Amino acid sequence: MSKHVPREAYRAIEDVVGPDNISDDPAFLDSYAFQWLAELVRGNRSHYMPRPWAVVLPGSTEEVAAVTKVCNRYGIKIKPISTGWYHWAAPLRDNDPTVQFDLRRMDKIIEIDEKNMYAVVEPYVICAQLQAEVMKRGLNLNIIGAGCSTSIVASACAYFGGGPASYYMGNNSDNLLGQEWVTPTGEIIRTGSLGSGCGWFCGEGPGPSPRGVTRGVLGSRGGLGTYTKCAIKLSPWQGPPVLEPKGPLPGYRLPIPDNFRVYTIGAPDWDSWANCYYRIYDNGIGYIFHRQFNLAGADLAPALWLTYIDPKKTLNDVESTVKDPEIQKITEEARISFQFIMQGNSIEDIQLQDKILDEILRQTGCYKIKRFCEPDMAEFTNMYMQRLGHKHCNFIWAGGYMGSWMQPGTPDFVKNYVPLAIDGFRRDQKSHKLVECGGDAMMGCGSTIGGGGLFGLEQFVSYDPNDNDSIDACVKHMEDAIRDTTAHQIPPGKEFLYLQIGWTDEKIWDDLARMPQQFVLHFQRKVKEAFDPNCLGDRNYPWLPEGWGQGQE
Amino acid sequence: MCGIESSTERSVLQLGLGEINVDTKKQALTAIVGAEHVIDDPVILESYATDCSCARKRQPWFVVCPITAAQVHAIVMWANRTKTPLIPVSSGPPHFHGDTVPSVPEGVIVDLRRMKAIKRIDRRNRMAVIEPGVTYAEVEPALAKEGLRICHPLLPRSNKSVVASLLERQPTLIPRFNYSLPEPLRTCGVVWGSGEVAFTGEAGNGPMDLELQWKRGIAQVDPKGPNSTDLMRLLTGAQGSMGIVIWASVKCELIPSAHKYVFVPGERLEDLTEFCHKLERIRLGDEVLVVNAAQLATILSPQHGSPEGLKASLPAWTVVIGLAGAALFPEERVRVQETDLKRLVQQCGLTLLKGLPKVTAREVVQTFERCSGEPYFKFRAKGACEDIFFLTTLDKVPQFTSTVFSIAERLQYATSAIGFYVQPQHHGVSQHVEFNFPFDPSDSEEAAIVKRIHEEASAALISSGAYFSRPYGSWAGMVYSRDVSSTHVLRTAKRIVDPNNVMNPGKLCF
Amino acid sequence: MALEDFRADAMRCTRCAYCKWIPFDLIKSARFSRGCPSIEAGKFHSYSAGGRLVTALSLMDERSTVTEKVKDSVFKCNLCGQCDVSCKMCRYDMEPLEAMRELRATLVRDGHTLPQLDSVIGHLRSDFNMVGQAIENRGDWAKELQVKDLSKEKAEFAFHAGCRYSFDGELAHVTRLCVQILQRAGVDFGIFGKKEQCCAGRAFDMGYRDDFLASARSNLKAWRRAGVRTVITPCAECFHTFSRKYTARAGSEIKVIHMVQLVDQLVKNDTLKFTKPVNLRVTYHDPCHLGRQGEPYVPWDGKEKKIFGQAVCYEPPRPRYNGAFGVYRPPRDVLKAIPGVEVVEMERTQEAAWCCGAGGGAREAYPEFARATAIERLEEARSTGADAIVSACPWCVRNFRDANGANRTRLEVFDIMELVGQAL
Repeated sequence: MSKHVPREAYRAIEDVVGPDNISDDPAFLDSYAFQWLAELVRGNRSHYMPRPWAVVLPGSTEEVAAVTKVCNRYGIKIKPISTGWYHWAAPLRDNDPTVQFDLRRMDKIIEIDEKNMYAVVEPYVICAQLQAEVMKRGLNLNIIGAGCSTSIVASACAYFGGGPASYYMGNNSDNLLGQEWVTPTGEIIRTGSLGSGCGWFCGEGPGPSPRGVTRGVLGSRGGLGTYTKCAIKLSPWQGPPVLEPKGPLPGYRLPIPDNFRVYTIGAPDWDSWANCYYRIYDNGIGYIFHRQFNLAGADLAPALWLTYIDPKKTLNDVESTVKDPEIQKITEEARISFQFIMQGNSIEDIQLQDKILDEILRQTGCYKIKRFCEPDMAEFTNMYMQRLGHKHCNFIWAGGYMGSWMQPGTPDFVKNYVPLAIDGFRRDQKSHKLVECGGDAMMGCGSTIGGGGLFGLEQFVSYDPNDNDSIDACVKHMEDAIRDTTAHQIPPGKEFLYLQIGWTDEKIWDDLARMPQQFVLHFQRKVKEAFDPNCLGDRNYPWLPEGWGQGQE
Repeated sequence: MCGIESSTERSVLQLGLGEINVDTKKQALTAIVGAEHVIDDPVILESYATDCSCARKRQPWFVVCPITAAQVHAIVMWANRTKTPLIPVSSGPPHFHGDTVPSVPEGVIVDLRRMKAIKRIDRRNRMAVIEPGVTYAEVEPALAKEGLRICHPLLPRSNKSVVASLLERQPTLIPRFNYSLPEPLRTCGVVWGSGEVAFTGEAGNGPMDLELQWKRGIAQVDPKGPNSTDLMRLLTGAQGSMGIVIWASVKCELIPSAHKYVFVPGERLEDLTEFCHKLERIRLGDEVLVVNAAQLATILSPQHGSPEGLKASLPAWTVVIGLAGAALFPEERVRVQETDLKRLVQQCGLTLLKGLPKVTAREVVQTFERCSGEPYFKFRAKGACEDIFFLTTLDKVPQFTSTVFSIAERLQYATSAIGFYVQPQHHGVSQHVEFNFPFDPSDSEEAAIVKRIHEEASAALISSGAYFSRPYGSWAGMVYSRDVSSTHVLRTAKRIVDPNNVMNPGKLCF
Repeated sequence: MALEDFRADAMRCTRCAYCKWIPFDLIKSARFSRGCPSIEAGKFHSYSAGGRLVTALSLMDERSTVTEKVKDSVFKCNLCGQCDVSCKMCRYDMEPLEAMRELRATLVRDGHTLPQLDSVIGHLRSDFNMVGQAIENRGDWAKELQVKDLSKEKAEFAFHAGCRYSFDGELAHVTRLCVQILQRAGVDFGIFGKKEQCCAGRAFDMGYRDDFLASARSNLKAWRRAGVRTVITPCAECFHTFSRKYTARAGSEIKVIHMVQLVDQLVKNDTLKFTKPVNLRVTYHDPCHLGRQGEPYVPWDGKEKKIFGQAVCYEPPRPRYNGAFGVYRPPRDVLKAIPGVEVVEMERTQEAAWCCGAGGGAREAYPEFARATAIERLEEARSTGADAIVSACPWCVRNFRDANGANRTRLEVFDIMELVGQAL
């Protein structure tokens, strides 16, 4: 039975944000409960996560804090969402009244400090907006793998932060400078130089960094308060101040300036692929580095993308295209491939980078994939990778996709699990209830950490969310992947994180208690006790109860 | 866990607690590390009682020198039971900022200099795993065998612990590798003040055994985490007040096979600001730093006697830029960078010097590549030195410089003697700004002037927005009184990881 | 069609929020990055296409009922189709615009209407127009013009003025100019004058399907009787309605040309010559119904099939209607052909054009919303440095002029045919 919340609570919140900025209309609430991936974890394959008790649109940090205090008084959980994608952005518990903060009114770019290369933004500023503004100033930002429709504050403060440009620009966890955090009690905490009143430019300190409490590999994903502003470090952009794509849609093309190079690079085998990555890291060339197009499945990717850039074609054409002998040749050539963009400070610089790349390819046996380096595909690749505005193509096959595997590690580490992931996916496709794109639909960054060294490859499992059998097949794949990883002593992948959303607390704790190190989970429990004594945040911020898991190993 | 030897623990437990006094403490520590590694010689204790800062002199009761993680763990567990303050030290003297001087009575120095293992050098992943006692002078030759180097600070002392330097967030010379301020520090093994042992970052995903991790292809590359906490970030800048780091993984770079330095001089600091913005933005060059004549003379002086002799021939202000080429086509890399740099220098109406008067190119390269010789470079001018350093943005550097210089002038300190050093960090988003005030330690008047400059300038800088991100000594009070929310968060974290406040109590806001 | 036919769309929506923005590749500034006037006004997710898909699902699943808020979220929308374009950047299996239309039709069918729209439809039924004017005044613009009366004579082409051009006194000269151009070009055409009936495209968008069908059948019958094979219209909404809705829903085989397409052809084949300079810097506003919704109709009657196991496609292949082939070039070519006119583009242009605010019944039901939407577009126009904004749709022109008020943006608003007239 749902806990009763008196109507006074609603009115108290209404007093803070105004009547136009709060709603408990069931259909409105359903638009927040409805989330991609819900069908994988909810009973009866429902697409709805728990409905919030109300949706609130705060317009400022002060409103967030004030509403949070009201929620504390009445014991209402809090779950912030900005651009909001993935089931974990919704309330997680049935019958546990939750206010969903929709932060779309907090959409200002507060400051762009061009000289000192950072921008200060509110949660509803998306990467595309900020990129457009900073490019005018010769700057750029790391757009995360989920694409330019995402919130910068969310990725830097509350989620992961890696993307195709992280290799050059850094992960957003490292790009995070000062931040403003409304804790679950409604306290406003400002970290780094911001807390000291010295501006936004530094995320560390004073002394040890308080931001160490706010995020690690992942942030709290809305489970420990609300981030209301942050400053993000920017990177140099040597291209035009405004992107001028050429149509028609959907395959807009971005002309490649003379000081850029855009390639799709293939490798004959995974060893060569790993060697190529290491050489690229060692040589420090490259600007955007990502295995992107393979999300469609290595068996189908060239056919799909060459179809996609033709505005007159539909997915039907992929069926015939894939049988074309020329395309089959390209498919084999591109089977193990990735996209690589270089930016030069000058023509001499880019020519040298080109020379270095050619030598790396020669040394490792890798090669440029000719068809993908022709102007139409290269310009499409350039547009796709620079703006990352086609990330909804993740769903292009059937409307549903779930990313499994993606354990982060070195190229050698990843290389070792790739064959397992491929075999497992190929096996699971035999049910015909998943898109049969071949076993390798793995996508991932060249490095999610600046300078290279670490990334994960995510298996793109495409399923039809309108088909319960297909959803079941996806869940089975996730369970199979967990079994495969366990059997090979590989840490669990993304599928585990997704499935966890549907588990009971006890099951999650039981799992966490078996992790090799539980220290951090107990630490997080104590942080939660300190900053969220009324338990208004949810288990997106994980923790272990006292006594669980301690003393093991 | 972590190879803790139960016999060590058993030895400590067998002693029981009973009455706690100097003798029982010594007994307990001896049981952990052995008698020869528990020091209570007054002369030695005296050397830990002070440092070059104005920290109040206070002798520890013992210096204990563990060699294994198990011993460190046992010491911390014992400290919790006996409520004994521990002060970790891993670098040799001199120490500068008061963080290694006990702030409370009955402290025990945990001197980690015996923990000197270079546990692993992984060329392919460019990672090294080292213990806290490993110094720059020790690690560099070992790395060089694999063609690797670590980005290091400006002329570190040869006995400076690499781990300590990184934990202190000492700025490193190469901004283009500085993706975050803690770089190149990645993951750590730590004994928290509570006695719990943890691995940070990627290493924290387990297993709790580095060898096993290496067998599984885990290279301790990712500093973040584990999970939703950045444990490493709670250790950096902590002055040993959260726990004792027992190993650290560090990102390495390739040793360049072509390397030269060029210099961009300016009559005024302001003349160089625009150029520095542009240079740092496009990440041109490896080493980039801005120094004044006094500082550059001090840095380069070993070959030339006293810095005074060199100073007059150097530009008032200089941007020092290292152009390096590693891996493929190194000479060509240097040439292309130099071409681009020339273009930039021209655009800014400045000049590019390929050398400095009285200093050879080789001398410059060697100076910046190596550790400081003896005496430590900051002592070369007068025998002692006081520092003020903080972070800010490049556009504010001239204004803060002016503040410091005018206070120094008012207090009748020769401003031409002030060493000025700006180290771009985080790809140029923040700047480490440092002022060095050399003084003759036997001249009490001069020492008093320098002390006053330190106090007044620090206060003036803090109140006008300079960010003292590493608040040593008296800075801590000023910094934390202005930042209530950070204080709250840090005290919360401290209470969790060091509930009995045994780790270097009295530092920071603890 | 029924709402249930769009269940798959709703189930396959991933809540990516692309529907709230213009295609991301085209974003040139933070200021002019948004694509959906509805969610900018309504703010809650339900005011977006994705949100409405959930509303549809929620209603179908009986998880919620139609409340005043639900109605507001469903009807406070121009159905401009920007969401559709953005969604289809990456998706071949989604029809958000059609789904939203179906949702409206469902609400109307079930009696959940807005009184403001009921009133407009009432007038359509009584006086065959949707601008609240008396039927007898419809043909006044054509008085003194010597034109075939298609209610009595036959012609190959029909010139359909549309309600806005017929009744809006400020635009009557445009309507007359169109006739003069057709006469000059020697086109065999006629008009229905007072007997012309509304295309009722807006009725369809408002959800009043039966009224739309009635108007469609009536118009088609009238054209058949008059021997008309092609309809020429200066109104973008009529253009879209005749070329897409009449063909898809009422079996029309009539060809449709927008006046600006004809003028473009006439200029290019030298039939029309611009002799007088018009010294103006202008920016062109793509009307939704001529631009992204102005793509040619492709007949389709098929169903979903799956390939590669679960990949969704259609047999036969389903036309995309993603805005790639709208009428974008002809109006621009016409403007560029006018001596003295300098054309500067707004950031949100062609398939990414921000709506004028008039369509979908929004102007009738939510005048403030329509006005705010127009002001946003006028500010964007102003930001180009243009002296004037030009459009090829009378609803855009009217809405811009009304929003412009006392020249608040210091921008003139022109119908493209006005500039054509000035140049001839």
